[in-house]
Amino acid sequence: MSRRVGRREFLGAGVAAGALALLPRGAAAAEPLVVATFPGTWNEAHRDVLAPYFRKKTGADVIQTILLATDQVAKLEAARGKPPFDVAIMDEGPLLDAVKAGVLEKYPVDKSPNYKDLVPAFQDPWGPKISLQVIGIGFNPKKIKERPKSWNDLFNPVYKGRVGLTALNSTLGMAFMVDFAKTRGGSESDIEPAFKALKDLLPNVGAISANLGAHAALFQQEQIDIAPYNFNFVQTLKEKGVDIDFATLDTGIPAWRTSLHVVKNAVQPDLAVQYIDAHLAPEVQEGMERTPYWVIPTNGKVPLKGEIVKQVAKSQDDLAKLKYQDWPKINEHRSEWIERFNRDIKL
Amino acid sequence: MTAAPAAEHDPEKRAPVFEKIMLQQKVKARWRFVEKSSRFDAPEWRLLLPLGAFFVLFFAAPLVVLFLVSLSDGIALNGFTVAHYAKFLTDAFSLSILFDTVVLGIKATAVCLVFGLPLAWVCVHAHPRLRSLLVFLVILPILTSVVVRTFAWIVILGQQGILNKTFLSLGLIDHPLRLLFSEVGVVMVLAQVQMPLMVLPLITTLQRIDPNLADASRALGAGHWRTFRRVILPLWLPGLVAGSILVFAACTTAFVTQTLIGGARLVYMPLYIYQQATGANNWPFAAAMSVLLMISVLLVVYLLNLAGRARWAVRHG
Repeated sequence: MSRRVGRREFLGAGVAAGALALLPRGAAAAEPLVVATFPGTWNEAHRDVLAPYFRKKTGADVIQTILLATDQVAKLEAARGKPPFDVAIMDEGPLLDAVKAGVLEKYPVDKSPNYKDLVPAFQDPWGPKISLQVIGIGFNPKKIKERPKSWNDLFNPVYKGRVGLTALNSTLGMAFMVDFAKTRGGSESDIEPAFKALKDLLPNVGAISANLGAHAALFQQEQIDIAPYNFNFVQTLKEKGVDIDFATLDTGIPAWRTSLHVVKNAVQPDLAVQYIDAHLAPEVQEGMERTPYWVIPTNGKVPLKGEIVKQVAKSQDDLAKLKYQDWPKINEHRSEWIERFNRDIKL
Repeated sequence: MTAAPAAEHDPEKRAPVFEKIMLQQKVKARWRFVEKSSRFDAPEWRLLLPLGAFFVLFFAAPLVVLFLVSLSDGIALNGFTVAHYAKFLTDAFSLSILFDTVVLGIKATAVCLVFGLPLAWVCVHAHPRLRSLLVFLVILPILTSVVVRTFAWIVILGQQGILNKTFLSLGLIDHPLRLLFSEVGVVMVLAQVQMPLMVLPLITTLQRIDPNLADASRALGAGHWRTFRRVILPLWLPGLVAGSILVFAACTTAFVTQTLIGGARLVYMPLYIYQQATGANNWPFAAAMSVLLMISVLLVVYLLNLAGRARWAVRHG
């Protein structure tokens, strides 16, 4: 090399490169909207159905952050007014916590044209319900020939070491324990019967996942054959070629409502509302009401069909007959039960 | 450790020349240190200011906040109480989790030592070309996300996993071993995931050892064992200690690996802290547990450091 790069030139180039990096990226494109979503079916349906629709309508991109509802409440509370995401997704129990913690904004109904089409049971001043989640038993049909009918089937000695459970930090875990208790004489304020039965169930339990994301891997790796599971998650796994099937319970189908919310002090509150409204649009709800998601619609204009009709409910009216739980009551004891569960299962 | 100083005055010692060489090494090391520290008289130390400021802002300050939260009633820092510490320290369940966590760290560190030392030794003594390949292979795991590596281990350790299927087909076992969701599994995966932290400091240490020292020791009549104990091991020690400190600290706090491989039934401190912070929404208690975990880890690190400073350990410059 004939000419050596001098110190000044080198520094100059460095400063220029640094300044370039600091410039706003493509000033024309809107800043992406950061949204929370659940692991499993939810992040896939939101990524593949909702985000493209939203992008087409608003021109804004979406960045997902995959978190359980309890984690979202914790993060929003810890961030104290500087929320790491603008849209929160909640199940009924954590929603009560979020409202109490003051981390959510009331939903501006007038800015959301699709809101009025929701079935009344799915309207909520804090944020519209976007779907119902129902639980039952996920099982491997290759290993388990007889279709399970109730939680009692988990006790079958044949399944020794093949039963899976998940920790109570997820709504699946908590809703299972509450329903388990109810089938044994307990209630939302007393799940002692479930804790008692858990002791007898433990010899059959092969794995308890600490987080719901790992629950899918347990079925995939055939670490477990039978477990309480979400209807949607089973459908998504099945589509991926995992040997899994969903069985509803004879004792009634436990269900809870899932909702989207604008976070308090959101960076882009208007985009957040548009994102949530997009989730209520018939096109989006129809787009999610198919393989591999089977997300139950809440917009009255969207008829139920497919797997949902086959396994959960024939019509919107049937949806009202599902076995809902009293979350304000459950919430009074939730942290205590999480703690108790962790102690009872520790090896 | 106490035997070492006595041996220096051992009237029966047959290798005075060797002791002299060792002394020279020590003096040399001391000299290099003096040379280095004298450089600090120059104003270049100010180069450390940006890093220092960064540390104060993003490391020390959050720690102070953590400590304050642990002594308060809530996240708004209201009230002053030591109740959270008292609650942890008087609860057998909580203490057993802390104990399990430290034991897990020790076990994983031990496995890393057993497998890492030979690996480092081979790396150092291999042909230079092979050596760079081996070092690359050692570093390779760091280039993959720990989450990805841990999920890969789920595939390997599962009941229908590679390991169990291989053992079954070889007829070594009748039915699948329970590796996933067991402490054995967690230790195995932690050892693999954190292995580079052990091997890299060891390679650096081993490379600097003058091979003549061992030859000299042998030539001067020391047996294999004496050579190992009095020459090789003291020279290795700084690397062993540095590697152990890194691996231990990483293993006790490895939230991802512990929860994915251990599941909910094997509770270690990071998962317990997470559960208290998010599930139970008890931030002050979670903060107190974090402080206690930090103190416990620092205590073990301090003990390891103490071992590294033993008189018979040779310090490298």
